[in-house]
Amino acid sequence: MAVSWLSRLAAQSSVPVFPVRGIQGEAALHRLTLTPGVELVDSPRHASILLVAGGVPPDQHDALRRVHDQLPNPFATLWYRSEPLAELASATRVDDPDALPGTLMTAHQELMRGKRGSSPRLLPDEPPNPWEGLGDDGHGGEGMMGGVPYGRPMAMNMHDDIRDGLTLDSLTVTLGPFLPMLPPGLGAKVTLQGDLVQSWITQHAPYPIALESVFLEAREHPVPIAELELARARYHLQRLAFALRLAGLERLALESLRLAQGLSPDSRLEGLRRRLTRCGFFRLTTTGRGWLDETLARRVGGVAARAAGLEEDLRSQDAAYGRLKFTPVVQSDGDTNARWCQTLAEIEQSLQLARQAEREGLYSETTEAIETPRGPWGEQRPGDASGVIDDLLPGLEWDEAMTTLASLDLAAVSEWPQDVTQELGEAPGDGADAAEERRA
Amino acid sequence: MIVNELILPVILVTIVLVVGAYLVAVIDGMIAAALGTPQRGGAWLAPLTQGAWLLTQQANATEAPDWRAWRLAPALYLALAATGLAVVPFSPTLIPTDLVTSVVLWGSVEALATVVIFLHGWSANTLLALIGAYRYVALGLSYILISMFVLIGVALPAESLQFSQVVASQEGLWNVIRQPLGLPLFLIVGLGMTFWGPFNLADSRDLAGGTASTVSGPSRLVWELARAAMLVAFSGVAASAFLGGWLGPWLPGPLWVMLKMLGVLAVLLLLGRLLPRVQPERCVTLMWVVLLPLSFVDLIWAGVEALL
Amino acid sequence: MELLTLFFILLIAAGLGLLIQWLPLRRQPMPTYPQRAPFLGGGLPETHAWSRFHVRYYPMTLLLIAFEMEMMFMYPWAVVFVEQGMKAVMEMGMFLAILSVGIVYGWREGVFKWQ
Repeated sequence: MAVSWLSRLAAQSSVPVFPVRGIQGEAALHRLTLTPGVELVDSPRHASILLVAGGVPPDQHDALRRVHDQLPNPFATLWYRSEPLAELASATRVDDPDALPGTLMTAHQELMRGKRGSSPRLLPDEPPNPWEGLGDDGHGGEGMMGGVPYGRPMAMNMHDDIRDGLTLDSLTVTLGPFLPMLPPGLGAKVTLQGDLVQSWITQHAPYPIALESVFLEAREHPVPIAELELARARYHLQRLAFALRLAGLERLALESLRLAQGLSPDSRLEGLRRRLTRCGFFRLTTTGRGWLDETLARRVGGVAARAAGLEEDLRSQDAAYGRLKFTPVVQSDGDTNARWCQTLAEIEQSLQLARQAEREGLYSETTEAIETPRGPWGEQRPGDASGVIDDLLPGLEWDEAMTTLASLDLAAVSEWPQDVTQELGEAPGDGADAAEERRA
Repeated sequence: MIVNELILPVILVTIVLVVGAYLVAVIDGMIAAALGTPQRGGAWLAPLTQGAWLLTQQANATEAPDWRAWRLAPALYLALAATGLAVVPFSPTLIPTDLVTSVVLWGSVEALATVVIFLHGWSANTLLALIGAYRYVALGLSYILISMFVLIGVALPAESLQFSQVVASQEGLWNVIRQPLGLPLFLIVGLGMTFWGPFNLADSRDLAGGTASTVSGPSRLVWELARAAMLVAFSGVAASAFLGGWLGPWLPGPLWVMLKMLGVLAVLLLLGRLLPRVQPERCVTLMWVVLLPLSFVDLIWAGVEALL
Repeated sequence: MELLTLFFILLIAAGLGLLIQWLPLRRQPMPTYPQRAPFLGGGLPETHAWSRFHVRYYPMTLLLIAFEMEMMFMYPWAVVFVEQGMKAVMEMGMFLAILSVGIVYGWREGVFKWQ
């Protein structure tokens, strides 16, 4: 009796969702962030629903299984524009972003009321290594080292510390591809000593990001500049929201997302900028770390390049932008702080360009070379630049490394625009069909 | 006698702690809603439904945790909060435990809180929790001195280390006015010892929840409850040390204490929502180089003022 | 008597904390090994996390010890402060001045930086 009363109360709680950010799942997650009654959490232990948003390439299915198995009972899975794992063929799949919040809430309620069973465990219940060694705890082994007490070896000192040269134990882990602090899809082998990154080897590049379709259209025919610039500002605002959430500024992250959602040429950034400065975001949270030299900055391109003082912006080559008296904004420092100053400045510039262009009804003219929010798209699309972090992150503290990562936009640009889903590896027709149905 | 000195204090502390922790969640929810977080259902029900969900959720385990420490840490944190609240005087006669050295006792609660929070992150034996734990210790070791200097400051005019005497010494003028630096510094300590808002170095988002990233279900409930309870205990101490405790016109003393506690809580929770997380290294430097000298100034100010 | 009460409050709160954790756990089977693995976003650790962790603020902890010793003297000093008058102010003022020099020196040496 008491239990049923408890579960009825639990069914009314907001739905704790752990999002696995797959290919092209971000848009739906932005909407979910603004949905009342849904809470996106950072750890699978804090969730009752695993939401796989967007496709996951087959070579990362094992990682997905591991995350799946880390949710405590009772939990359910939901697949948004993504093919469920073979073992979970009967799992709920949603393709309509409008239906997503409702489905999440129903799933949580059914779970709490016992109408839906918990998702089954996918991996065998075995320790990572069978215990070896001689002692009670499986230690022993050969000489001083060796043995796997409780299934894993103990940490050992591998290298002298890169900052003060002490030789203490270093911890090597593989991170991602579904770690909420990293860009979606980024996986890396990381060695830490204390909370300092000693080495960072990127193993999986972040998933390609899908731009709004207007950027792809701009490659084919002239498009209204106002539309182009608004899409650009929206893109940057969403990136900013991610960083603000990471910095514990939930409120400003939401404000940023809301601004992006209802963006029009009349939108103003001043309020958000003022609040950001006042609360000390630039002084307390972002650091002067994560500095990119010219070569690296050029490799990343876009905001990162201009934040490092490179006056590179393909919009300068467009005659229509010339008529708007466009000149690229640049910063000089090239660090995390500069990148956020640059992002804010570019959002403001885009809004201003959008206002002017709308008044004058201007269309872009050059189609061979356009500046996407991710970087220049001349002969080829902006490619994956995650290689730069292998050199950039070692030597940073964990907190600085995460702040730096959030300020960098590294993923390649996808060949597909934002609305059409194309899932890697699994039934490519399926997602596209669903998207076409929706459009029809 | 047993009733008055044993049962009544225990009941009083338990009730204030539980109701207070619930109110912390409610006020925080209200502030979040006012600042634009989308919310479904009322702020009054949300903590209860959340608690119920945590009670029905399975408690997680890690591969090889230090079981005893891992389960004890949330309980000990809660016990520390209760101990801290027990020295808060609600009126000249209604004091759960009127120790002669209650200021010292509160100091030890602050020091042990660091130990317990560290233990919570360390005992899970996972990377992100471990980083959170070690990182928090840097903060814990920094705020404790500020807190001590500020509290010694309020003990000077009272000529006593007893919170009831400290309150009584504010009969003429509350310490918040008499020692203007005291309360702001002490509020920072409060945010630090509950790793709330800007000082959330232990359970932050960049660590996927830090020391709490591996716990779920009832254990997480106790941890969050203890954290809120510690905030309540802290607000009680702040109300007695700086806001004149039970002193105030018209209303009965205990009611004044509660109102002042609510006021302190509201300010702390608002600060928690408004400020970004401070970068750990900058946090330590800020504490030692800016706030600690300020607390020296506060102490000397308090000393000179007490003699005049 | 006060200490006894305090002890009871401590005991009851800790007991409550353990009880809330223990009661729902009684019937629960042990989570599976994959569930117990550390959350690293789908990645895995190579070793246990327990290690000789590099605490990067160690010089600061040493500075703290110096101050903590001083706190011991400060408690009795606070009680007799008004009685002793200006003499007590001067004594503690000198003490604090010396410690402040220590902080400034430590700051210059980068004690508050992550080593």
